[in-house]
Amino acid sequence: MKPAAPARRPPGPAAGFLLAAALAVLLPALPAGAQERFRRTPPLPDAQPLELKLPEVESVLLPNGLSVSTARRPGAPLVTLQLVIRAGEADSPPELPGLAAITARMIGKGTKLLSADYLENMIESMGAEYSVTVLMDYTVLTMHVLEEFLDNAIYAMRLIVCEAAFTERELGAVRRTAFWELLERKKNPETLGWRQLLRILFENHPYQTATYAEEVIKFITVKDVAAFYGRFYRPGNAAVLVSGNIDGAAMAKKIGVHFNAWVGQPVERPAAPPPSPNSRERICYVEAPGVSDATIFAGNVIMDSFDPDFFPFLVLKQVLGGTTRSRLFMNLRESKGYAYYAFSETEFFRFCGVYWVRARVRPEFLVPAAREIAREIGVMSAEPAVPAEIEEAKSFLIGNLPTRFESLEGFADWMARYVALGLDEAHWDRGPERFKLVNVERVQETARKYLMARPLIVVVGRPEWLGLALREFDAIEVYDTSGGLKHILRKGEGQ
Amino acid sequence: MNKAARSLLFLACLVLGGFPAAAGQEAAQGSLGFPFQDYRLRNGLRVILSEDTRLPLVTVAVAYGAGTLREKPGQEGLAYLLENLMFQGSENVSPLQHVGFIQKVGGELNATTTFDKTLFYETLPSNYLALALWLESDRMKSLAITPAAIERTRAELIQEHQERLASDPYLESFAQFDMLLFPDFVYGHPLIATGLEMMSLTEADVLAFHSTYYVPNNAVLCIVGNIDSAGTRELVAKYFDSIPPGIDIPSPPRPVFNRENDAVARFVGIPAAGAGFHMGFRLYPLQAGDVYILRILEYLLLEGETSRLRNRLLRRDLTARHLSGALDERLSVAALKFFCLNNNAVMVGRSQKAILSEIDKLRANLISQDELNRAKRRFEMDHLNRLSTRLGRALFLVDAAFNGRGLEELGGELNKYLRVSPPALHYFVNKYFIPQNRVVLELGPK
Repeated sequence: MKPAAPARRPPGPAAGFLLAAALAVLLPALPAGAQERFRRTPPLPDAQPLELKLPEVESVLLPNGLSVSTARRPGAPLVTLQLVIRAGEADSPPELPGLAAITARMIGKGTKLLSADYLENMIESMGAEYSVTVLMDYTVLTMHVLEEFLDNAIYAMRLIVCEAAFTERELGAVRRTAFWELLERKKNPETLGWRQLLRILFENHPYQTATYAEEVIKFITVKDVAAFYGRFYRPGNAAVLVSGNIDGAAMAKKIGVHFNAWVGQPVERPAAPPPSPNSRERICYVEAPGVSDATIFAGNVIMDSFDPDFFPFLVLKQVLGGTTRSRLFMNLRESKGYAYYAFSETEFFRFCGVYWVRARVRPEFLVPAAREIAREIGVMSAEPAVPAEIEEAKSFLIGNLPTRFESLEGFADWMARYVALGLDEAHWDRGPERFKLVNVERVQETARKYLMARPLIVVVGRPEWLGLALREFDAIEVYDTSGGLKHILRKGEGQ
Repeated sequence: MNKAARSLLFLACLVLGGFPAAAGQEAAQGSLGFPFQDYRLRNGLRVILSEDTRLPLVTVAVAYGAGTLREKPGQEGLAYLLENLMFQGSENVSPLQHVGFIQKVGGELNATTTFDKTLFYETLPSNYLALALWLESDRMKSLAITPAAIERTRAELIQEHQERLASDPYLESFAQFDMLLFPDFVYGHPLIATGLEMMSLTEADVLAFHSTYYVPNNAVLCIVGNIDSAGTRELVAKYFDSIPPGIDIPSPPRPVFNRENDAVARFVGIPAAGAGFHMGFRLYPLQAGDVYILRILEYLLLEGETSRLRNRLLRRDLTARHLSGALDERLSVAALKFFCLNNNAVMVGRSQKAILSEIDKLRANLISQDELNRAKRRFEMDHLNRLSTRLGRALFLVDAAFNGRGLEELGGELNKYLRVSPPALHYFVNKYFIPQNRVVLELGPK
């Protein structure tokens, strides 16, 4: 085994020299130091239109209320089977945050007749990968499996979901694992910043339930899990998704045979109107001893995915901080040298969305960096963007979109979100058309609507850096890494 | 044409295997499930094309045989430094403009250096294929290496690595373990140790490494995606054909492992509370077909919650709080490595015993066909999943090219893994998983 090299090379140390000499004769001759004209400028793209066409999602409703959605993806002999429950972190009772996640993790940990070990063996003997994802509004149980084992996978999914049983022993193990994972996540300043941002933006809103720390997990009992399961794991609140090289109609029938005995029961999920956006200067400081740099989050509540401003806002977000070419990165890192990075992000839930800027900054520049982030957000709403910036942002968003569902996992996530939130085709494969309609005026109109309100600022840093911030801001709310308010510092007061 | 020139032409044709461009493998498919073409340009650049029209995307990967194995003692970090200098501009592309061009159209890119190669790749809308080829050919042809760029890049890399070391107390132990497991400079020294070793690299080192290894006859260009093969061949010829080849690159030396003693136990101080260890079995020299058995063994022991070692340490005995592992292939040598974190030194001992006990069981008894099939299916899933993306497919083809495997044989590759039998596995474990091949590095607090 050896690295690639020219074929049929004669032996001897002089071969390389001779090759180079020979090619000097054979290859097109250019004056010394000259280069071909085409090398001087980047080539234009092919005129070929960027048509994005995803497989159609076909959906049927079974008599018990369970919906079945299928998408035919020919190619690899792999199939993804998912079960979506329209209940997520936000559906945990306020007094039991984390219950949705623990319940989801308990799926597959036993039925009335079969043990957790037996079920895990059953799934892994197919070579399948089974995973659980709990998001704000929904939960997804996913099995990626070889095509030949799809029937077994459907059977296994039906068993673990419809006949789930919960024991104290398994719950103890699940709680322990979740506890350590949550504890481990607290070491990540980005996790701390993001969680604190949501915690404050969604004060007194069901979405705040998602921002729990590890200590709450220990209060969850088998009875709680069974109650959550009994309430939300119902066919009328669920969808089975199958994607791969499949026949959609035949697949829907097969799913029907397996899941028709799943007993339906109405599930009520009250609507939760989005909270008002933050509108005043508010600085939250999460004390995280041991971090090497300061992490800043700045964000606010925005529209949901169905809003006409959705696509213009994505373009806006891209201009602000989508890539290393965007305003935040160029300003905070390349120009001022405050930050290692600075980007903007969005996430959309069932009832609203959130935008935020995240930046990792040098501690000595914590205050000017926070000010600069707020200023950049303000500029977006105060001044129209340059048309070239808008076009570049659109070009990125349109060009990048297909990479999101290229992989098996990416496609599965995309489809689960589409079905779980009941999105329209603009959120399936018609996004590029929507992006093309966005112009400078629409972006500024959207910016004025959503960025005029002051963003909430969260800083994650060492306790000793707090003094730097205190000189600049009138009041700072100081939190521990679990999100508990320690105290409020006001300008002029000692720590 | 005089006699000397004709001789030179004849010699060149011998060297290049034909003129014009060597006809390669045309639209081979086999049981890989996708077509590809494999050919060389006159300057020795190996080109692999594979059409996939499902999405309007294309992945362009360029790999140079310029991994850490090409570094000499005193040159540690050179391969990594060069990887990063490749983004510092070339004759027609300003520093970091490469990244900007790709991001501007929604593309994604990255680079990585391994033991045997340095790989650059980008996935972008397929109508921008020419842009990617223009960028890659410009830095292949005319990379701008300046003292300032070297200094800046080196300083950034050292700082970044020092930060990584500070934030991950176990990181340094991985490099130390590799040096113990592969006690041969070429095969065992890390991509980057503390970072400070890069301080001694000179501009001359950098230029010499670049001019020797970043040449078309030491590279593979792989393009996978929504392409028209004929048009793509023209584009490849346009951008790469006139880049002159470099000197002949010798094959890397065979490893000389100068330690024959039993398991080695070392102890390094880690600042974090807790304990853990690395354990590895070095397999050398590998025989044809060994790698198929080894990969299935890796899955059997480590992949999935019910795999032997994860089940034993994390679920049954509860002696470990983390267990991971990997198969590390380095040309003619390979190693199966485990990394385990425990709560205390007692659990370290118990976990080690448990791993050895599971290996002993494999040595003593034939594994059941059911258990073996489970590992194979899991591997098959991962293998097919990897080939389902353009990037995964490109990296697979590049790896195969670097491993010296004929691409025409790749169609049967999966079956070689799936044909591993219980007796073959039993023989393999008895042959290689012996104390003389075992290395342990125990970790504990300072």
